[in-house]
Amino acid sequence: MSRSFAIRILPVFCSALIGTAIQAQNEGQLHGNFSTDVQLYNQDSAIGAVLPPERLGANAWANLIYTQGNFEAGGRMESYEPSLAGYPAGQAYSGTGVGYRYIKFKVSDLEVTAGNFYEQFGQGLIFRSYEERYLGVDNVMDGFRLKYKPYRGVYLKTVLGRQRFGFNNGAVKGVGLVRGVDAEVSLAELLDSAWTSANNLIIGGSFVSKFQEDRNPFLVLPQNVAAGAVRANFTSARWNIYGEYAYKVNDPNGRNESVYKNGQALHVNATYSVKGLGASLGAHSIDNMFYQSDRSAPTPFDLNINFLPPLTKQHTYNLPATLYPYATQPNGEVSAQGEVFYRWKKGSKLGGKRGTKIAVNFSTAYALDTVHLGLADDTTRRLGYSSKFFTPGKRQYFQDFNIELRKKVSDNWQFALTYLNLLYDIDIIQGKSGKPPVHADMFIVEGLHNFTDRNSVRFEVQHLSTKDDHGNWATALAEFTFSPHWFVAAMDQYNYVTFDDTFLQDGKLEVSPKRFHYPIGSVGYIRSGTRFQMNYGRQRAGIFCVGGVCRTVPASNGLSLSVTTTF
Amino acid sequence: MKYTVLLMLITILIIPSCDVVKDPVPPSSTGPTNPIDTSTVDTSDTSAMIVRRKVLLEDFTGHRCNNCPDAARTATQLVSFYGEELVVVAVHCTFDFAAPASPPNANGSYSTDFRTPAGNAYENALGVNFLPNGAISRRMFNNSLLHGQSAWGSAVADIFGQEADLDIWFDQLTYNASANTVSAEVKVAVLNPIVGDQNLTIYLTEDHIIDWQLDNQASPNDVPDYEHRHVLRTTLNGTWGVPLVVGSAEPGDTLTFTYPNFQLNSAWVGSNCALVAYAYETDSYEVSQVKERKFQP
Repeated sequence: MSRSFAIRILPVFCSALIGTAIQAQNEGQLHGNFSTDVQLYNQDSAIGAVLPPERLGANAWANLIYTQGNFEAGGRMESYEPSLAGYPAGQAYSGTGVGYRYIKFKVSDLEVTAGNFYEQFGQGLIFRSYEERYLGVDNVMDGFRLKYKPYRGVYLKTVLGRQRFGFNNGAVKGVGLVRGVDAEVSLAELLDSAWTSANNLIIGGSFVSKFQEDRNPFLVLPQNVAAGAVRANFTSARWNIYGEYAYKVNDPNGRNESVYKNGQALHVNATYSVKGLGASLGAHSIDNMFYQSDRSAPTPFDLNINFLPPLTKQHTYNLPATLYPYATQPNGEVSAQGEVFYRWKKGSKLGGKRGTKIAVNFSTAYALDTVHLGLADDTTRRLGYSSKFFTPGKRQYFQDFNIELRKKVSDNWQFALTYLNLLYDIDIIQGKSGKPPVHADMFIVEGLHNFTDRNSVRFEVQHLSTKDDHGNWATALAEFTFSPHWFVAAMDQYNYVTFDDTFLQDGKLEVSPKRFHYPIGSVGYIRSGTRFQMNYGRQRAGIFCVGGVCRTVPASNGLSLSVTTTF
Repeated sequence: MKYTVLLMLITILIIPSCDVVKDPVPPSSTGPTNPIDTSTVDTSDTSAMIVRRKVLLEDFTGHRCNNCPDAARTATQLVSFYGEELVVVAVHCTFDFAAPASPPNANGSYSTDFRTPAGNAYENALGVNFLPNGAISRRMFNNSLLHGQSAWGSAVADIFGQEADLDIWFDQLTYNASANTVSAEVKVAVLNPIVGDQNLTIYLTEDHIIDWQLDNQASPNDVPDYEHRHVLRTTLNGTWGVPLVVGSAEPGDTLTFTYPNFQLNSAWVGSNCALVAYAYETDSYEVSQVKERKFQP
């Protein structure tokens, strides 16, 4: 054992011993989980599959959390040896090390966290620190957080620290410092018996500021950039109405072409639900709200201080979810969404013996109406443009109309039929410059048949037709489940028609577009808290999104294995 | 009492937390604030003056990247500010933004492939997955090797003025227009002790190429006669160059690298070409010194 290795391992060993001793004496608890994704890449130049120099990629994470009374400590080991192709969305991850560690304790009404923590103010318009592991988005804070409840119904939070930027044998922090405060009052709790209504009104406000040194030779950059937000949330048995307004002071950065214009955002949403009926209506307007703790962050995924929630349906079916998903445009958009859910009762004309469910959703997003200010502004105040808040411009980024019908037709069979009509500005959303908007129609049939109480098959047939982008796609999926341990699945995607035309290759030879199958098979085994899954086949290039944040997944061919376990 | 403490805490956080800039353009932005002796040492007596480190800006770009022209304008602005202390090379790369249009456009737009094997190798090695992006002497700045153009000025300023460990100059450069060849003799002087391997790479770049470019600040966005600047065409001595320092080097060493009669592609305009010689650390890729010399001054 080398001396340096001994020095490194000694504290861990001592901690483990101390931890064991504490557990024995005071009944502390230790919990943990582990997950890994491994992929072996094959060459497949036909689909442009990646073949990294190291053909085996592996991501792995292990969490340990120790709790004892009001004390909690935890950490996460991470390994990217090397990371999977296309992962993560932003800065590269490499090596093995500690990506996250913290201690937390509570004294009366005060909670203190030191080290890493995730936190959110309101809907996140000015502050959200979160992890979406499979996107490779992790902007965890490293610093301290205080949570304080000075009076019933009054909640205060303050945070200070730097965000995670990348990973190189350990978390790498960004250069910018983030500090923030948040206050929230729940009137029903605060007024207690004086509040006679069954409803509640929660109001809140937050303030966040970032600091980054200015060394730009051409511009005077604000080193401290502040943002503030106010919010209100009314809740009743049937209604939930939420509104949040955020304002950001001059923040010239690499995403907004270094303009000094102030940013603002308004997000409102209302939902109504009673038994068998639900409806929601939401809208937002966003203007210049990229807010990153490094004004020159290399990618839009790095060091985001805030999160702008999408107002579009997050589809789960493969084709709509991975070909044309929408991501909120922080530089400017006006968006709205409406959704109605209704369940026809059993025994009614449309409900039949087992009832019928229908969901209709419509969403749309437009550019913000703006006017470029021109040369004089470039040499003076550099505000960049003027805008009309909550006024859509001419360019439509996205539109999605979809309707879903679900029905159980017998004790053993149930079906879901879905239709989607999509308009997708691929130039803006995916950055494919010069490409025309995609107009697509999709039909999806999903079925579930229970052979026995334990064995079932679920299948999907999906079809996408468009004369734009890559043309038509068809997908078929069958998934057999043999409870409680096994499942087997097979899926094929076929890019079968590219609008029947031909093109001139090298300006001379007339050729037809190529058509490809993307077959993939899976087998999985689940036991207690452990799950194994193995896939083999082709994966087409696509977009993977969580919560309106999307990353590109490159085409690949090969064998993949994922394992998750918990204790 | 507890409210007072909380209010104090919040006040401490809020008071210093917002700068409102009324006039973004500083009074003087016509040159570096600390002018330095930019003389290139081209004599055997290298101890007489301090040689400063020049900066290499590799602008990763593509003709179908609509934000890239803005980055190129930033590079031009920086060159006008730093002069010969900053060397810019446009490296066209990535399939999405730099590959020729496929299927080809009827008007022939975007049919040129400016990508090079060397550029593709740098794209992979440095992890270029977004455009526009730039490496400033391939040096870590703000914990990153690659930067959007808004960071370029600060990253250049971070290197500018540093004392150099190496000096590089072109002792000879001859362009033979009739044979369309270039011959060069590059000399490298070790000025300070160096530990670690370094390589010397020589780029051949071409300036003022008129071709299509997507530009989100132009109207229409497709610009048929865009002027492409400092485009990497090839390397004279391989993608990763040749060994310059192996293990270590001591002050006083001067090395000579000769490249006779390198044949240019007939499509390139020799009078617009230049050579860019740079030394870099092989383990980190960081560029320690760079020098540019045009075929025709």
